[in-house]
Amino acid sequence: MKKRIPDPKRIIDRIDDLPTLPRTVLKITELVNDPKSSAKDLARVITDDQILTARLLKLVNSSFYGIPQRISTVTGAIVLIGFDAIRNLLLTTSVFDLFADRNRKNQQKQEKFWDHSLGCAVGAKVIGNYLRHDSIEELFVAGLLHDIGKIVEMMFQPAEFSKIVAVISRENILMIAAENKIMGYNHAEIGKLLAEKWNLPAKLVQIIAHHHQPKVAGSFAMEAAIVHLADIFCRALNMGFGGDNKIPPLDRFAWQSLKIQTSAIESLMKTMQDEYGDIRLFIS
Amino acid sequence: MIRVNIVDLKPGMVLAQAVQNQQGVLLLDAGAKISKKNIRIFKSWGVNEFTVEGELNKLKAAGETPAAEIRAAVKMALKAKFSDVMDDPVMVEIFNAASKQLTKDLPKSEHEKENSRPKKNYR
Repeated sequence: MKKRIPDPKRIIDRIDDLPTLPRTVLKITELVNDPKSSAKDLARVITDDQILTARLLKLVNSSFYGIPQRISTVTGAIVLIGFDAIRNLLLTTSVFDLFADRNRKNQQKQEKFWDHSLGCAVGAKVIGNYLRHDSIEELFVAGLLHDIGKIVEMMFQPAEFSKIVAVISRENILMIAAENKIMGYNHAEIGKLLAEKWNLPAKLVQIIAHHHQPKVAGSFAMEAAIVHLADIFCRALNMGFGGDNKIPPLDRFAWQSLKIQTSAIESLMKTMQDEYGDIRLFIS
Repeated sequence: MIRVNIVDLKPGMVLAQAVQNQQGVLLLDAGAKISKKNIRIFKSWGVNEFTVEGELNKLKAAGETPAAEIRAAVKMALKAKFSDVMDDPVMVEIFNAASKQLTKDLPKSEHEKENSRPKKNYR
């Protein structure tokens, strides 16, 4: 039997209809980061994009905020919920959209994957807050995207994906182990290639690539360790489905470098669960 | 009429007094039956105290349904998930915290309440 040499790069190249991240979202991120920008500046960028405008107004007028009167202007919405919340919200919903609804058959599975990603994102944010990390928003996005490679597998490599699913249910192993067994590479590598293709910041690329071995993430080892721990927390709390029914082992290096007291674990996980319940309302 | 905290507010309770947010905007009027959605909205506005219709002892009695079976099932599933990593003491902590979070919304029986003091592992 001839064994083919696995090459995730070639697979990514073959997929030329991989979704792209909307430019508006990148522009909004920039504006929110700039202390000199005003609600008006931000409103101008958002109103340029009809879909984002509609989504924002829908969300602000949704039951999550429970405001009795209708908010009909983007500026009004920004003033009401704040800059960071706007960015968080638009980025989150945009990323979710990218892969949404392309394959009905996988829809339920896909939603569970996203719930897992969202749980990890919330976890990364909560851990980041606890550690007084200076870019919480970025950690949130990193958590959201950490398993993006799994979505790519599911949507663009259906044959391999179903083999992986079969191995997981037969042997009850971690998805990453099943991927390595079937394909010779895994979702972290695929995710890295996609992130590079999207021109995401180096930090995000490194976190996605190394959330299973944070040590290798170089100068972003700290951030990768945060996402690594958040991944474990959200699996422990049954948030969504990460593709298997196992908890990945805690990386020694990651745990030691984070310097989190074991006594803090419980309150971190509690905060995580509370915030997860709140944010899920945005998306569903 | 009884005062209840947000954590004890349950769908189906009837508001005895209107609920307003910090800015004084009316969120739900007196006499309204509370839904799950209402509770989420109150949480998102940070409203914590409510006045609902009813008597205190009735309310307590309503929460008495034993849920030991569900609790046991949740724990068993969690144990299976953690089965390969329990030799790590940090993972044991994570397991304990998760198990507590996942079962916290289940009502406790009187027997369980007596034994609910945190158990320490002195090994």
